[in-house]
Amino acid sequence: MTLFATLWADVRGTWKQMVLHGLIFALLFQVFMMIALIVRFQTLPNYVTGYDWIGNVIWIIKSTPSWSDIPPIIWEEWLLEIGKMNYDYGTGISEWSLNVVPSRLFVLFILGAMVSLCLTLTKRDACSAGTSNKLRATTGLGAVLVAMTNATMSWVVCCATPSWVVGLAMLGLGVSTSLALETMGPILTFGGFGLLVALILYLAWRKSRTDLEPIPEPSHA
Amino acid sequence: MTTNYTLKSVLLGAALVPMASMASAEKITIAVGHQSMCTDTYTAGIVVKELGLLEKYLPTDGKYADAEYDVSWADYSSGGPITNQMLANKLNFGVMGDYPLIVNGAKFQETESLRTLYVAGTGYNLKGSGNAIVVPVDSDIYSIDQLEGKAVSTPVGSAAWGMLLKAMQDNEIPTGDYVLKNQSPAVGAANIAAGKIDAHSDFCPWSEIMEFRGTGRKIYDGSETGVPYLHGVVVREDFAVEYPEVVEAFIKAVWEAGEWIREDPMQAVTLMEGWTGVEKEVLYLYFSEGGHLTLEPSIKQEWVDALKFNHGVLVKEKAIPPLDFDAWITEDYLKAAYADLGVDYEADKAVMVDPAVANKGLPMEIWHSRDGVSSFGTMPEFLKAMAEIRATAALVNATYVYDVETGLKLFGKTAFWVKSGEEYATFLRKGEAETYASETGGTLVSFDEAIADFIAEG
Repeated sequence: MTLFATLWADVRGTWKQMVLHGLIFALLFQVFMMIALIVRFQTLPNYVTGYDWIGNVIWIIKSTPSWSDIPPIIWEEWLLEIGKMNYDYGTGISEWSLNVVPSRLFVLFILGAMVSLCLTLTKRDACSAGTSNKLRATTGLGAVLVAMTNATMSWVVCCATPSWVVGLAMLGLGVSTSLALETMGPILTFGGFGLLVALILYLAWRKSRTDLEPIPEPSHA
Repeated sequence: MTTNYTLKSVLLGAALVPMASMASAEKITIAVGHQSMCTDTYTAGIVVKELGLLEKYLPTDGKYADAEYDVSWADYSSGGPITNQMLANKLNFGVMGDYPLIVNGAKFQETESLRTLYVAGTGYNLKGSGNAIVVPVDSDIYSIDQLEGKAVSTPVGSAAWGMLLKAMQDNEIPTGDYVLKNQSPAVGAANIAAGKIDAHSDFCPWSEIMEFRGTGRKIYDGSETGVPYLHGVVVREDFAVEYPEVVEAFIKAVWEAGEWIREDPMQAVTLMEGWTGVEKEVLYLYFSEGGHLTLEPSIKQEWVDALKFNHGVLVKEKAIPPLDFDAWITEDYLKAAYADLGVDYEADKAVMVDPAVANKGLPMEIWHSRDGVSSFGTMPEFLKAMAEIRATAALVNATYVYDVETGLKLFGKTAFWVKSGEEYATFLRKGEAETYASETGGTLVSFDEAIADFIAEG
C-alpha cells in the first residue's frame, strides 16, 4: 500500500513533466525515423498525404459489427504519410514512406512518460553509481523493445502487409531474421512495457522503504 | 369543412409522394481498390474504371430504381494496403494477386464479424509466367543455379517471392546458400539497372519493363515452377449480401473488359499506357494474342489448388492465419453474371490455355512505330521485314517472338537466337538455346546478326 502511495505521490508531483516528455518522445521518434529513412535511401521525401483519421475512426466504429474487431482496425489507421515517390515507373510508386499512426503515437507517448518516471525515480534513488547505471540500462532496454516494435516505416510496397519488421529489414536486418521476428512483435512490446513497469515498481518500493526507515540518532548526541 | 380538410390532406399527401420517394432514394457507395502497376489486375481495375464499364452494368431497376451510385477508385502499389482499407470499410472491392488475396481472406476470417468473398478472377497464366527472376543485362549469370552465393532481392510477401522460394527449392538451393533481400519493385529495378544487385525476382510487368528498357535480362520465368499465377477480385461479404446485383455488375464489367482488350489489343495497350504509364510495348507482351495473360474471370479447381499451395507457403514463411477456402470462394455471383450476359460459364471454366500448346505456330510480330503491328508466319519473313525496316532507318517499337520450350512470348531483342542451316529458333534461356544448337548443329547468334543475314541477301 505504501508502495502505491509513494508511486502516486511521485506521479502527481511529476505528471506535467511526464506528459511533456511523452509528447517530446513520440514526436522525436517520428523525426528519428524520418532521418533514418533519408540517410538509408539518400533521398529526401517528395510527397505528403494527410488522412481524415477522426472521420475514418467514426466510420470504422459505425460499420464494424463486432466491438472486438474495432480496436485492431483502428490501430492501423494512418494520420499522415510522408515518403519518396518514384515516377520512373508508371504513374509513380512509393519507394519508402514514414507513416504517422495515432495509435502508435499514443504508445510512444506512454513509453516516453514511463521512461521519464523511471529516470526521475532513478535520480532520486540513493544507490551506488553502478546500480544506477544498471537501472538506466534496464530503462533503456524496455524503451528500445517498445519503440522498435512501434516503428512505422514502410518500404516493401508490394503485397506484404506493412508491419514493424519492415522497418528493421529496411535498416539492414536480414529478411529471414525479420520474418522470424514478426510474430514476436506483441511479445516484445509487452516485454518492454513489463520491464518498465517492474522497474518503476521496484524503484517505488525502494523509495517507500527508505522513507519508512527511521533516521538513526547520532551516537555522539 | 370536413371535405376541405380531407382534400387538403389528399393534396398534401400527393405533394409529398415525390419527396418521400426522394427521401427513400438510397445512395450506394462503391469503392474499389486496384493496382495500376500490376498488369494482371487491369481487367478489374484500370480498364473498368476508364471505360466506365461498372456504371454501364449497375442495376437500375427493382430495389435499385431510386439508387444513387457513388463509384470511386483508389490506386495502390500493392495488395496489402487494399486489405487494410477493406477492413476499415473504406473499400468494398479489392483487386490483387494470388498471395495478397490469400492474406486478405485469412485476415478477414481472423476477425469475429468481417469476411470477404473471392468472387472472380481477372486473368491467369497456367504455368506461372508473369513472375520472373532478372539479372543485370551485362551479368554473366544465365541460369538459376548460378545464384548460389549471390544476393537476390524480391518484394517479400508477393507472388514473386513465393515463386522465388519454390524455384530455389526446385533447384535444390537451400536458403542459406543465397542472400535474400527485401526490395520493392522500383528499388529492385533501379538496382538491376545500376548493377547493384545480382538478381531481382518480381511480378508482372516489372521483369518485362526491365527487359524493354534494356537494363535487365530474365534468367528464370515463373512458368518453370508450374504453379498457376492468377489475380482476382474480393468483396466484403456484408456488401455482397446487401447488394448482390452490384457484385454481379462488377463481374460483368470484368468480363467485358477482357472482351474489349481481345478485340483490339494494340489499341487497348496504347490507351492503357496513357492510363498507367507502363510502356505499351510491355503491355502488348501480356495482352496480345499469345501473350502472358489469359483474360477470363472463371474460378477453376486448379486455381483453388494453386491458392491452397500458396497459402501453405505463407503459413510456413509468414505464419499467416488459417483460411477456410470453402467459405471464402464462391462462384454464385459469377454464374449469375454469366447467365445475365447470356454466356456459358461452364464452357469458359472448362477452357485452360497452356502457352506451350496454344502459342505453337503463332506468327512473329513487328510493332512499327508508324504502321502498327504486322505479323509474319515464318522466321525468314520476319527477319527479312526487319532488315527492310532497318534499311529505311524507320523506327521499330518492339518485336515479338516465342520461346521454343515454353511458348512464352518474348521480345525479339532479348531472346537467344539459334541459327541451324537456314532455320532460326528463339529461346528464353541461354542454356536451352545452347542445347538446341548442339543438337541441331546450329550456332548461337544475336538478333542483329540474324537480321544481318537478310540484309546481306538483299
